[in-house]
Amino acid sequence: MTSHRWTGWTLAAALAAGASAATAQERVTVITPYLAQPGTQFYLDGFRAEAEARGWQVNVVDTAGDIAAVVSRLEDAATQGVDAIVINVDPAQVEAGLIEAQAAGIPVIGMDAGAHPLLATNVTSNGYAMAAETAAYVVNRLNGSGRVVMFVFDPFPPVQQRGVIADAIFANHPDIEVIDRVTPDVQDGGIADSRARMEAILAANPEPGSIDAVWAAWDQPALGALQAIEDAGRADEGIVITGIDANPQAREAIAAGGPFEASVAQDFEGIGRAVADATARLLAGEDLREKVIFVPARLVTQANAAE
Amino acid sequence: MTASLRRYATLLGFAAILVGFSVALPGTFPTARNLLNITQQVSMLAVVAFAMTAVMAMGDFDLSVGAMASLAGVVAASLFAAGWSIPAGIAAALAVGLAGGVVNGVLVAYLGILPFVATLGTLTIFSGSSFLVSGGRTIFGGAIPAGFGAFARGGVEIVGLRIPNLTLVALAVLLVLWVLLEHTSYGRRLYAIGGNAEAARLAGIRVRPLRASAFAITGLGAAMAGLMYASRVASANPTQGDGLMLDAIAAVFLGMTMSEESEPRIFGTLVGVLILATLNNGLTQLAVDSYVRQILVGAIILAAVASSRLGLSRG
Repeated sequence: MTSHRWTGWTLAAALAAGASAATAQERVTVITPYLAQPGTQFYLDGFRAEAEARGWQVNVVDTAGDIAAVVSRLEDAATQGVDAIVINVDPAQVEAGLIEAQAAGIPVIGMDAGAHPLLATNVTSNGYAMAAETAAYVVNRLNGSGRVVMFVFDPFPPVQQRGVIADAIFANHPDIEVIDRVTPDVQDGGIADSRARMEAILAANPEPGSIDAVWAAWDQPALGALQAIEDAGRADEGIVITGIDANPQAREAIAAGGPFEASVAQDFEGIGRAVADATARLLAGEDLREKVIFVPARLVTQANAAE
Repeated sequence: MTASLRRYATLLGFAAILVGFSVALPGTFPTARNLLNITQQVSMLAVVAFAMTAVMAMGDFDLSVGAMASLAGVVAASLFAAGWSIPAGIAAALAVGLAGGVVNGVLVAYLGILPFVATLGTLTIFSGSSFLVSGGRTIFGGAIPAGFGAFARGGVEIVGLRIPNLTLVALAVLLVLWVLLEHTSYGRRLYAIGGNAEAARLAGIRVRPLRASAFAITGLGAAMAGLMYASRVASANPTQGDGLMLDAIAAVFLGMTMSEESEPRIFGTLVGVLILATLNNGLTQLAVDSYVRQILVGAIILAAVASSRLGLSRG
C-alpha cells in the first residue's frame, strides 16, 4: 500500500505544479531536439525575453535528439490546445505532427527550421544576403580588380545559394577574375581537403600577387586556405580571405589580424526575438504573408571579432 | 493477499496515473483521440520492448536494440534512395535485423560471451555501420518514397475510430509474441532457461539454439521498430533509434513487477510501455518542464520496482 501512496504523491505533486501554472495566459510550446546545443540556447534567450515581456506562458520541450518524440510532443501540444507552437527542427521530418497541429488550428512557427507549407512562417538568416556581404567586401578590398579563388559547395542548397550570389557580384566587376571555383570534399569537415586544394592552387600560381583573394562559402574552406597560405610562407602577400558563419575558430583567426579578414555572423538571439514577434502577430489573428522572415546577419571583421 | 497486492501494485499505479491525468486534464487527456495518440507514440518503443521480453525471459538482455533500430532505418532509407521498392527495402532491413540478432545469439549462446559484453560490442558495430551506410547524414526528402512516410500517418477506420497503422503493427507484434512466449512449448522452454539454465539443460532442453533464436527474435523486433520510426519521421539518421534501448529495458522491468515470479511477461511489458508513454503525454500536456518530466519518470520507475521488492522481503 505504502508504495501506491508514494507513487500517487509524486504524481499529485506533478499535477498540482502543472495545474497551478495553467491559467488564462496565452500558452506557447517550444519543441526542439537540440536544446543542449549552444546555438539553440541563444535562440531561446532571445525568444524568452520577448515572451516574458508579453506575459506568455512558455513551455520548452527538449526531446534530447529524438525526432520521433518531436512528432509525439507536437501531437500532445495540439491535443492540449496551446495557442502557438515553435519548432527548431527540420519540418519535413515532423510532418505527421504538423498535420495534427494544423487540424487543431494551432499555428506552428519555425525557428531556423527550414521552410515548409505547414509552417505559418520560418524565421532564419538570409543566405543570399550573407554571401553578398563577404563577396562585396572582397570586391571593395581589391578596389574592384584582382584574381579570386572561390570555395563553394553546390550539392547542399543552403550553401549553393551563397555561391550563386558571389558569382553574380564577381561577374558584375569586369576586372575581377575568378581563377578557380573549387568544391572541396567535406567528408573530413572541409578544412583538410580545402587546404590541399589551396596548396595546389598556390603551387600553380607561384608569383607573389598572382592570387588576390579567397572567397569561401563557409568558414572551414577559408580556414583550410589560410593554413595553406601561411605554410607556403605567403601570408604577407596581402591575399584576402573571407568565410561565412563566423564560427569560433574563424573569429579567432580574424581577430589575429592575418589574411582571414572577414566572415558573417547570424544573429541567433535576434532570430529568437523575431520568432516571438511573428508569434505575437499570429496570436493577434494576423495571417502572415511572409513564409520566411529574415533576420539580418552581421559582418565580422577584426574590429568586432572578439565580441 | 500481500502477494496479490504486490502483483497489482503497478497496475493500480497505472490506473492512478490515468485517473490523475483525467482529473487534471478533463477536456484533453481522456479522449479517444488522445489515448489513440498515446498508443501511436509508444508503438515503436512497444515493439522493441516486446522483442526484448523474449531475451529477458531467459534472464539475458540485449543492449544493441537501439543501434539496430537506427541501422535498420538507415539501411531501408539508403536502399530507397538507390531506387529499391518499399517492400524490398523493408525486407532487406528486416533481414539485417535478423542477421544482427543471430550474431548476438551466437556470441552469447555458442561462444559463451556475457550478454552485456556481447551486445555492447554489437551495439558499437551496428552504430558504426549506421554511420558508414548513411555517411553520417540524415536521409530524407525525395530519397524517401511518399508511401513509406504516409504509412505512419495513416490508420484504419474501426467502428468509427481511426486506429493508427503503427498501433496496429505494435498490436500484431504483441499478439505474435504473446502466443509464442505464453502458449507454445518454445516459450515455456525460454522461461525454463530463465529459471535455471543448468536445470533446463539437464531436463533435455537444447539451451544453445533456443538462446540464439531468442536473440534473433529481438534483433528482428528492433529492426521492425527502426522501420516504424523511420516511417514516422519520414527520414533516417544513424542515431535516431538509440534512445529506445534504455526505455525498453525500463518498460520490461516495470512489467516484471506485475509477475508473481518477477518474470518478464508480455502483458506486463505492455503495461510498462503504456505507463512510460502516458507519463510523457500527460506531463507534456500539463506543461511540466522536460527535465522535471525526465526526473519524475525515473522516480516513478524506481518507486514501482522498489514497491515490488519491499513486498517480497516482507512476504
